[in-house]
This record gives sequence, structure tokens and C-alpha cells, in this order.
Amino acid sequence: MDFFESQNKARKKTTLLLFLFTLAVLSLVALTNLLVFALINMQDTAGLATGRYHYSVEIFLMIGAGVISLIILASLFKLYSLKGGGRAVAEMLGGELLVDAGGDLNRKKLLNVVEEMAIASGTPVPPVYLIRESAINAFAAGYSPSDAVIGVTEGAMNNLTRDELQGVIAHEFSHIFNGDMRLNIRLIGVLYGILMLALIGRILLQSGAHRAGRRNNSGSIVAIAVGLLAIGYLGQFFGNLIKAAVSRQREYLADASAVQFTRNPASIANALKRIGGYREGTVLKHPESEEISHAFFCEAVSFSFAGLMATHPPLAKRIRRIEPGWQGDYLEGPLPAPDDNLEPATGAMGFAAADVSIDPEKTIDNIGNPDDGQVGYARKVIGALPPTLTEAARVPYSARSLVYLMILDQDKAVREQQIEHLRQAADLGVFEELEKLLRAEPEFQPGMRLPLLEMALPTLHQLSYEQYRLFLSNLDVLIRADGRIGLSEWAVRKLVTKHLGEVFEGRHSKVKFNRLSQVKAPAATLLSLLAYADRHADITPQKAFELGAVELDIDLQLVDKQSLGFTRLNDALDALAALHPLRKPKLLKACVRTVTADGVVSVLEQELLRMIADTLECPMPPVVT
Amino acid sequence: MDISTIITLVIVGALAVWAVGIYNQLVALKNRYKNAFAQIEVQLKRRYDLIPNLVETAKGYLEHERETLESVTKARDAAASVLADAAMDPGNAAAIRNLASQEGVLQGALSRFNIAVEAYPDLKANQNMMQLSEELTSTENKIAFARQAFNDQVMTYNTYRQSFPQIVLAGAFGHHTDAELLEFADSEAIQEAPSVSF
Repeated sequence: MDFFESQNKARKKTTLLLFLFTLAVLSLVALTNLLVFALINMQDTAGLATGRYHYSVEIFLMIGAGVISLIILASLFKLYSLKGGGRAVAEMLGGELLVDAGGDLNRKKLLNVVEEMAIASGTPVPPVYLIRESAINAFAAGYSPSDAVIGVTEGAMNNLTRDELQGVIAHEFSHIFNGDMRLNIRLIGVLYGILMLALIGRILLQSGAHRAGRRNNSGSIVAIAVGLLAIGYLGQFFGNLIKAAVSRQREYLADASAVQFTRNPASIANALKRIGGYREGTVLKHPESEEISHAFFCEAVSFSFAGLMATHPPLAKRIRRIEPGWQGDYLEGPLPAPDDNLEPATGAMGFAAADVSIDPEKTIDNIGNPDDGQVGYARKVIGALPPTLTEAARVPYSARSLVYLMILDQDKAVREQQIEHLRQAADLGVFEELEKLLRAEPEFQPGMRLPLLEMALPTLHQLSYEQYRLFLSNLDVLIRADGRIGLSEWAVRKLVTKHLGEVFEGRHSKVKFNRLSQVKAPAATLLSLLAYADRHADITPQKAFELGAVELDIDLQLVDKQSLGFTRLNDALDALAALHPLRKPKLLKACVRTVTADGVVSVLEQELLRMIADTLECPMPPVVT
Repeated sequence: MDISTIITLVIVGALAVWAVGIYNQLVALKNRYKNAFAQIEVQLKRRYDLIPNLVETAKGYLEHERETLESVTKARDAAASVLADAAMDPGNAAAIRNLASQEGVLQGALSRFNIAVEAYPDLKANQNMMQLSEELTSTENKIAFARQAFNDQVMTYNTYRQSFPQIVLAGAFGHHTDAELLEFADSEAIQEAPSVSF
């Protein structure tokens, strides 16, 4: 499925969601009024018989206002509490962050699979949370790939083979790329308000029961409570209908994407079959799982009203879609022993290697749509990275030094200055750690930076807020060391601040610009940046710029090199990230054309391109050499 | 049914929403510090794994310092088991305090060990020894950093829990006590960086 298309579709679904929600709220208002009407008039049945009734427009309006404001309050409240993105959802379910395999082969298998898939798709590795339940299930949550997390139950981790786990994780990754996650979080927030009424009813019932027999009108409080409960459960019913309407089809889609990703239909088919044969099933015990039932791999709650409100298509149907000839046999019985010492393939890895030629069409198609070639490539890449550096990437303390290392300029003079600044400004130990990494640096080739960064970013999520602020200020110190900074160093910083900004500050991008003509200046800035980055002699920046600008069909001028300062660059990327998803392919194609103007793309240029694409929330998989 | 009842209902409703919000936030903050403990656990385990190698390497040289070596090993074993307890429930103040004090004992034993090593330049120059020492130092830094992160999260939880109006409900929601900060006696491998203004 086209990445940009599905992002757009997900946005449209949000509109549908809000529409259905409004309908539900109005129904609930009507029902509450009915309830109050009944309560008022039940004491006067005689009057009713003659057609008289007690009611008034004021009561109606007041009730309406009360119900609506309650629901909206609750929903806004919940959406606010989920501002932290994926992490907030995982914590809501009591998830335990997996920082290290700790010798457990199953954990290692899981962490390795997630890492491979992320590097294969050109996106930072999402943190993995373990849910301590024996059911087999998994979810992905977050607003965007930047703050996405993956949650896996213990049952899934221990009972699926590596291939099957890969299928499940691939399915979750496609949710990440399809924009489903953002929709899911919105669903949680919005539905929460509707569920509120049931909660209030429950509370009132308990306090009403306490006071039973003490006062005369305690009876009516109980009646109100029961009524509210009934309405509340109706609210839940509506909520689930909405969830089902919005989320069911996407599961087939995600299954299909997973197959494409792994090029191994058996992996996800077998995962589904194994779930079918698993006694403990897929239903979670945690009370909050109801709120997010739509974001799981399989049905996570038990009551679904004859399948009407199921958030997922039936297991058998899903299997048949992937494997039309399936006979109905599930996989049961114990697993072969964990096989993860599937050592990533090592061997000659051309990191510093030759320039590649890339096809603009194919590159754009590949965004959010990685295929099996990339997974194998990712495994090789991971295997070839120097262990000093991968170890550094997986611990928060040294991950910072790794990022500092990447921001050190290639230019010797600037670098000296930066190191001096760090010596003054950073924590004592960090400088030593940096020195250790600098010694490993001869091994550090371009082409390693992006995978290492993708590994380091989730680690940096673990910083406390205060540590994060200090880290940012150190990054700024490095950047300003000389007022000048190399292009890729700037790109690294931009990437880091964007991703961490989403996690720590809850800064999520929204679509602000619907047409390319609204982002002329930022687009010109970006293309100029890429045009000047092209180092080959036979193509002038002007020419390279024009080759790209022609794709965009709007009137653009090459920007003067001197005016390409940090602020301008940062602002340009921020603006372009807020571009409508269906306009982004053209923009990216223009970028690729500018970069390939001279016919070849150096590893550095490819890296720059991919980093920029990531900042624009379009993860670009590595080009397989 | 009159206006005042309706208004009461709405107010009760709003209070309920708000109370549920507080409950969820308490849960979320608690989970956050629990997760922060995971990183401490990883690094402490790393240190505990390095120590037997250290003792092995030094054994040949420090024949007459048997007690020093033994006390290191004993302290290390004790700390490792206390770590397991703390990892089960980082919210348990007693477990955290135990960990802190056992770590203190281990630190003491290690510093006596280091003093002993100083007297044997051959041992100090031993390749293996130098490598292990370097790894230990690096691990110390990581532990201190992870501890700082954990303590930051604990502070956030405690501050929230103690503030009004959360404090009124916290007990009822099962959050009766503050979480304990993890303080190691020999704290500062990391010093607070001077704040950068620009």
C-alpha cells in the first residue's frame, strides 16, 4: 500500500471517527433526557395517562450541556494524558521497558528482530515494552515513527518462533507506517469520554447504596445511578461499534504489508495459526486493555457481541487471505528451542564503498514500504557495525557520547574547538567516553552513522527530563562551536532534536500546509541545501537545483549560499514536515533528483537524503548495494 | 428532580473524571521510575560480573591479601542478591535502602582492594587488570548516570504524590508512601555540569 496514500486515508478516517462520535454523543444526550423524563414523571402516572407531563426546554438544555461537557472534558483529559505518545500507552498497560536481553535468549530474539526491522525500514528502533501476560498479542503505539513503541506480551515472546515473531513485528511496523497509530491514540481519547458515564454511574451506585434507607430520595439517586450505568454501557457499545468501523479493515492491510516486508507469507500465517492453537488465546487481563483493544495484533478483549464489535477480523479469515489453501489446522505443541543465535551475517560490508545510483521512482515507492531485500541487508549492516559502537548505542550514558561523536565536524579546526567546548561543558565522564569512541573512530565509516543513530535514539528516550535538557544544551554548544557546521552534522542534530522533542515535549507535527505553493520558501531552501551538497565538478548547484525544482511545478529560486543558516534550515524542515502527506512524494522526488543530478550518489549524500526524509516523517529504507 | 440535583450530578461527574486522571497519572509515574530502575540493574549486573574476573586476576599476585579478596567476593555476592530483591519492586523503600547499604559495603571492599593493588606495580601493569579496571570505571559512570535518571523519576513521582490535591486521594489509590531515592555513598563519578547559557 502506498505510504502517503495510507497516511492520507488515516487522516480521513479521523474525520469519520469524529462524525460517529458526535452521533454517539447526541444519542447519549437524548437517552439521558429520556431517563430524566421517566424519573420525573414516574411518580405521576395518573398525570401521564391524561397526557400531562412535567418537563421543559430548560431541563433538556441543561442535561444536554451537562452530558456534552462531561464527555468532552473526559476526552480532552485523556488525550492530554496521552501526549507522551507511545510511551504513555505502554505505561498505561503496565509495560516493562526491555533495555537489555540479560542473557535470556527469548528476549534477545525479540530485541534483535525489532532492531532488524527498524534498520531495514530506515526508522529509529522503537523501544520494546514487555507486557506480563500469557496471552499472545502485540501492539504498536505512538503519534509517529519518532515516538513509536512496540509492546509484546510474554506469551508472544516465549511462544513464537523467530520467523513468526518477525511476521508479527512486521505487521506492527506497517501500523506505524500507515498512520494507524495516531488514529488509535485519538480513538482512545475520544472514546474515553463516552465510557466516562458508565464510570460515574458506578461511583454513584456505590455511594447511593451506602445511603440506602437513610433518606427518602436516596431511592432516586440509586435510580439515577442505575440509569447512568445503563447509558454508560450503551456508550461503551457505541464506542466499540466505532472502533470496529474504523479499525477492522486495516488489519487485513497490515497483514498484507507484513507479507511484503518479510516476503515470507508463512511467517505471519504461522503466527496466526499458532495463536489459533494456543490455549491461553489472545485476551489480556489488564483492565486498561479495553481502551486500546483496537491497537493489538489480535482480539484483546473477550466480549464482542456476536462479532459485531470485534476490532479484528476472525482468525480463520485472516489466515485464508494469506494462505488460500489452508486446511484449518492450527499449530500446537511446544516450540523448538530458542534459536536466537542467528548471528547476523558478518563479512565484507562495503560501508565506505562506492557511490550508488538510485532510481528516484523506486526510492519514493520504497518509503514506508520496505521489502525483504532490506531486511537481509539490515541484518548484514548490524553484524558489520563495530561492537564498541553498538554497545555504546544501547546504554543511555554512552549513547550521548556517540551522538556527540557524530556531530564532531570533519574539518580538523572546527573539531578541535568542539572537543574543547565539550571538555568544559559536558559531564566529566562523558568526555572520557567520547575519547574511547574517538579511538574506535577509524572504524567509523560513513554509512554506519544512520544505523547507529537509529539504535541510539530509543536509548536516549530513557534519559530523565533534566538529563535530556542538559544533553540538548550540550548539542547546541557543539553546533555553535564555530558558527559553522558541516551539513551532515547539522542533519544529525536535527534528527535527534526532532525525535526527542516528540517524546519529551510532546511536540507532534500536524498538517498545516495543503499545497506546495504554500511552502515555496522552505522548499527552495531545502533544494538549495541539497544542490550545494553535490560535490561533483561537472554539475553546477544551479543546474542541480533546477533539475529538482522542475518536479515541483512551482516557481523556485536557488537560495544564496550565505543565507543558508541554521535557523533558516531548521524552520524549513519544520514547515515541510507539516506538509500534506499527498504532496510529500513530489517534494521527496525533487530532492532525489537534485541529489542525483550528477549521476551518482555518494554514501554521504545518501545518508543526508535519508536523514532529511526521516525528519519529514517519511522513513526511507537503505539502498541495498 | 430540580436544578440543584442536576448541577450536583455534573459536579460529581467532573470530580470523577478528575479523580480518574489523578489515578492514571500516579500509575504512569510509578511505572516510569520502575522502568528507570531497569537500566541501573543492567549496569550493576555488569559490574558484579566483572568482579570475579578481577579477583581471579589479582589472586596470583595478592597471595597475602586473602582477606581483602574474600571480603570483595562476599560483598559482591551479597549485593547481587539484594539487587534481585530491589529489581522485583523498586518502589519498596526497604529494598532500595538495602541495596544502597550493600553497595556501600562493596565499595568499601573494592577501595581496600585498590589500595592493596597499588602496592604491586606488576599487578597494576598487567594487561588484563588494566582492561578490567577500565571497564569497571566505565561501568561506574554508567551506574551513576542511570541512578541520576532513576532519582529524577522518583522525585517526579514523589513530588506529584505529595502535592495537593493528589495527596488526598493517593492513599486511597494505593500509593501510600514515597519511593526511595537510590544513594550510593561514594557518589560522584559524575558532577553536575555548569549550566550553559547562550
